[in-house]
Amino acid sequence: MSAAVAPTPTYRRALLAPRRISAGLQHAYIWLWLVLFALPFVTTTLHSLRAPEGGLTLESYRYVFGSFKENLLLSVEVTVATIVLNLFIAIPAAYAIVRHPIPGKRFILSTLNLALYTPGAVMGISLAITYAFLFDIPRTFVGLLGAYVVGTYPLMLVPIIVALRDLPRVYEEAARTLGANRLTTFFRVELPLLGPGISAGILLTFVIVFNEFLVTLFIAGPNTTTAALRVYNLTRTGFLPSTAALAATMQFVSFIIVLVFFKTFGSRYLKGTYLI
Amino acid sequence: MARVRLVEVTKRYGQTVAVDRVSADIAEGEFVTLLGPSGCGKTTTLRMVAGLVEPTEGVILFDDQVVNAIPTHKRNVGLAFQSHALFPHLTVAKNIAFGLSVKRRPKAEIEQRVNELLAMIELEGYGDRMPAQLSGGQQQRVALARMLATDPRVLLFDEPLSALDRNLRDTLKYSILALQRRTKKTAIYVTHDQSEAFAISDRIFVMNKGRVEQAGTQLDIYLRPATEFVANFVGDNNALRGTVVEVHEDSNHRRATIRCGSLTVQAHAPGSIAPGDRVLAFVRPENIEVLQDGASADEPGLIEGAVEQVVFEGPAVRLLVDADGTPLKVTVSGVQRLTLLDAQRKRLRLRLREVSVVRDEAA
Ligand SMILES: Nc1ncnc2c1ncn2[C@@H]1O[C@H](COP(=O)(O)OP(=O)(O)OP(=O)(O)O)[C@@H](O)[C@H]1O
Ligand SMILES: [Mg+2]
Repeated sequence: MSAAVAPTPTYRRALLAPRRISAGLQHAYIWLWLVLFALPFVTTTLHSLRAPEGGLTLESYRYVFGSFKENLLLSVEVTVATIVLNLFIAIPAAYAIVRHPIPGKRFILSTLNLALYTPGAVMGISLAITYAFLFDIPRTFVGLLGAYVVGTYPLMLVPIIVALRDLPRVYEEAARTLGANRLTTFFRVELPLLGPGISAGILLTFVIVFNEFLVTLFIAGPNTTTAALRVYNLTRTGFLPSTAALAATMQFVSFIIVLVFFKTFGSRYLKGTYLI
Repeated sequence: MARVRLVEVTKRYGQTVAVDRVSADIAEGEFVTLLGPSGCGKTTTLRMVAGLVEPTEGVILFDDQVVNAIPTHKRNVGLAFQSHALFPHLTVAKNIAFGLSVKRRPKAEIEQRVNELLAMIELEGYGDRMPAQLSGGQQQRVALARMLATDPRVLLFDEPLSALDRNLRDTLKYSILALQRRTKKTAIYVTHDQSEAFAISDRIFVMNKGRVEQAGTQLDIYLRPATEFVANFVGDNNALRGTVVEVHEDSNHRRATIRCGSLTVQAHAPGSIAPGDRVLAFVRPENIEVLQDGASADEPGLIEGAVEQVVFEGPAVRLLVDADGTPLKVTVSGVQRLTLLDAQRKRLRLRLREVSVVRDEAA
């Protein structure tokens, strides 16, 4: 008795199946953009390594670790101070806007965001004029800080508003019934849950303030030249390898700070949902 | 562990009256449910007890203490939400420990209590998981443990099971009841699911449009609805419009004879009903007996009708009977139902039992 046994059907993936071709194209597309994005940084770095008599040298970087160090330090200081000040302004403001019925809420929000749409030069001039007439703070650290806060607090405010709007109130209420007062509830429940919004705000503020030079141009003094302004000033006198070295260093520092930030907070809070 | 009283509590949002002069006296250790349709003010009432909503008028007391001015975090109530509301950034153990750690209890005590509670909800070894890594039923159990951790005076539940599937609901509702019985804490449970309310309550408050329509035991609510709304909202009911012909009174009964069109029915009459009143008589489909042939033909109060529809539902058979122009829903269970499967168009004799009456507000 030999009943015909049907052969087990087999399937072999074709090497050039349409699905594989399209996957390959997608990868190529992504890599193309990555290379294009990285290109300016790579060429700047290469330029900074060029020796006057041909060949490669690290000579330009010695200059960087001389006087440029101070500009970098100032940039980091003023950026951190701006972020802290922005947080102190934006968190209470976001609560007021999201949680309380304020008449004319939309109008207030639009006005608050005005700074974002103002061209840097206009902002710089207005600040220089305001400082000269109203305050005695032109060309100081405080002047710089004030300018950056005015220019960037919407970048902190908007992501926090979005995060707060999306934060269900049950968490706050659950914490209250479990015996936590307003303050404890905020620090132990709401703040961590607002993390994504706050992180986004910090990141945006950092990127803008650390690299800002246009407004700075109008209000910086000899002792308050930020790294970005220094780079800009140098490019006006020709594009030397030493200038390229400053630019590359700045970009590198920027990159490292963002990376460290993502590494420490990112895995906990910045899971992408609230990034705008 | 506390007696909870609401005295004429009202909550208005602008023109909307969310809760309208609700009074309740809930004994220590009692399990009360607020039952009612969507928007009737159940959640608002519960949240006022928790202190999350401030009453516009009225007084709320725990034992003899007026709590109106006491903020939520000092009321020591446990509140279970429809969504479990576990803190997503904290582990299961940290969630359960939250209330104790806010109260700055010693670490060792917190750890012991957390382990105790994890054992109680049968989730030992789950302490290090994040809430998102648990199933819906497990999450709700953790939420229960979290609310019990601080030993609250009153347990409040706002439809804690409505997001779960039916099987889970059925087991968890008894877990909740068992927890409440074990801890002997006063509980207020909000639901719009009647079977849930009937299964676990000592007393049910039926609410409608911000008001308590009736408060009573399951039997009161089911067999002696106090208002038309309660009669229609709870379970299935036949409503018959009619007039009271006469009222009999003896030592422990008050019975009314009511004419509803061509039908005459006997009903339990509350004291406020008098001859001549326009009333609604209610009889539940399962309280209508189908008489076998040969039952005495001239027993008073029997009704005759033609079967218009027969629906076999497994454990029960539903009949639609036309009694002289009055449609009656009849539910028959037990083996008798099998004799009625081919009853279509036959004439049956029916005995109406447990008829209740309320005054006809429309008249
Ligand atoms: N914050 C609020 N502002 C305005 N109106 C509200 C507010 N909260 C509740 N209401 C209104 O109060 C009424 C009662 O609401 P509540 O949430 O207590 O109903 P519920 O019985 O819990 O309903 P459900 O079964 O749908 O949860 C509703 O008409 C609702 O629209
Ligand atoms: Mg509700």
